[in-house]
Amino acid sequence: MSREVWCIVEHRAGAVDPDSLQLFAAARQLEGTAVAVICAAHAEELVGQVARHADRVIVLQDAALEQFTPDGYAQAIVPLAQERQPAAVLMLHSHFLGRDLAPVLSSRLGSGLITDCIDLEWRDGILGRRFMYRRKLIATQRCRTSGPDVITCQRGAFVAAAASQGAAEVETVVPAIDAAAIRWAVGAFDAAEVVAGDITEAEIVVAAGRGVGSAENLEAVRELAALMGGALAASRPLVDNGWLDRGLQVGSSGKTVRPRLYICFGISGAIQHVVGMRDSDVIVAINKDPRAPIFEYADYGIVADVMEIVEPLSAAIKELRG
Amino acid sequence: MRIAVLMKAAVEPESRIELDDAGQVQRAHFRYELNEYDLYAVEEAIRLAATHDAQVTVLSVGPEDAVQGLRKGLAMGANDAVFVACEDFLADPVSSASVLAAALRRIDADLILAGVESADLGTSQVGVLVAEELGFACVTMTIGVELPGNGTARVRRELEAGNFLEVDVRLPAVLTVQTGLNEPRYPSLKGIMAAKRKELVRIDLAELDRDVEQKVETIELAYPPPRQLAQMLEGAADTVVAELVTLLCEEEKVL
Repeated sequence: MSREVWCIVEHRAGAVDPDSLQLFAAARQLEGTAVAVICAAHAEELVGQVARHADRVIVLQDAALEQFTPDGYAQAIVPLAQERQPAAVLMLHSHFLGRDLAPVLSSRLGSGLITDCIDLEWRDGILGRRFMYRRKLIATQRCRTSGPDVITCQRGAFVAAAASQGAAEVETVVPAIDAAAIRWAVGAFDAAEVVAGDITEAEIVVAAGRGVGSAENLEAVRELAALMGGALAASRPLVDNGWLDRGLQVGSSGKTVRPRLYICFGISGAIQHVVGMRDSDVIVAINKDPRAPIFEYADYGIVADVMEIVEPLSAAIKELRG
Repeated sequence: MRIAVLMKAAVEPESRIELDDAGQVQRAHFRYELNEYDLYAVEEAIRLAATHDAQVTVLSVGPEDAVQGLRKGLAMGANDAVFVACEDFLADPVSSASVLAAALRRIDADLILAGVESADLGTSQVGVLVAEELGFACVTMTIGVELPGNGTARVRRELEAGNFLEVDVRLPAVLTVQTGLNEPRYPSLKGIMAAKRKELVRIDLAELDRDVEQKVETIELAYPPPRQLAQMLEGAADTVVAELVTLLCEEEKVL
């Protein structure tokens, strides 16, 4: 296993995003050595969170890496990647590394970039598979370039293995970073308000999407959620139009939920939503379009208008709960 | 000051997506619509221009259908439009970015706005790659923009799970925007009439000085394997609801 695959670890405020561990699984799927790459000003706490999962750890440590900036990270990673030529540099597609950093790395390394991969394979080089045209096709892609391939992985597409026994060897490298060339000044971090009844903690989540149609119908869904003792959640359109708070959004730009029961009304099942709810124990979908992709993820499906089901279901729950 | 907006004609959700015998996607079936994210970018550019005495240029590279999106941008209030007709670059974001950057060198914008990704291919690379080609800074996932007039843009970014981050980025810069940062206006009749008199410049692809090296190739396209469909409950509303409640109570034991 001499093929090195670098996995850029996503972290904030001393905590590694646990989905970063999935990258090590992706690296091993490429029959490679999973090298965790941590860019930070103080890495000790972070190293402990990955050392029993990765095969090796490289720490790029510099005061200019206190906050994530694409220029800072690129200045740290690019020269070392040019020198050592790993087979690939992996990161999660969402949130900020895949968006802000991956294209910058590919551009500065002169490498190809394959984004949002759901599968990787080694066949005399790296093959990445990703959806195209709203999940109607799967494309198998490869880079025609000679440098390290830059690849972003969809969250949840690779399954992180349990921690191994030994802690990986850690190498610390002090990169040469020109702080004046960093064009971002990072300001206030505005953390999501922690509210009681957070959707990630609820055992039952009742979610509404564009298909609910009106604010009045949404109230009926809210009432159903309350009757079931569950939390109300939403897909992005209802948050964008201001009907619901952003803290209630499920999906790639919102929260990931894994309740025992997830019932969704008028949600078509775009991948951006699905990644936030597909691990729920039981999924029930109500949508008037029989071809809606949400039915591919649901355990039970009903083709109907939202209101045709919400009211009788509320009545049935009332009766059940007596 | 000039603000440029990148607009893409994206394959619309209802289009038939079919492979031919050679395994190539049949583009003849494609129907296009303006990429939804880009609509928010246009609206933001027009709002910023109104308060900062700026001009807005909308730019598109792609099939002829992209002109519809540019006309919409003009009708919403953009000052002029640039179009590069190009049928066959769609699968490679580096090529797209290279064409866009070459056209942008003629526009001389201080600020470039684009959607965070396209709805059909969703690589979310093009805006950032354009910035790299031009040597501009870039901020993605923008949900708010202010221009304090000191050579920077103050950007509010929407991170995951309801977290936000403020970044001051040096201009010139590319900002890629999320849906929901504004409420895009509908073009007024007056706007639509005025758009007809606005300039839409066509640039021939062959005239542009661009990098033609394709860095990523698609070696196979396939239909996804069929997934296990949900157990569909059918019948009158009262019947399916009763059936569902029974299933959730007795089979699944989640109620």
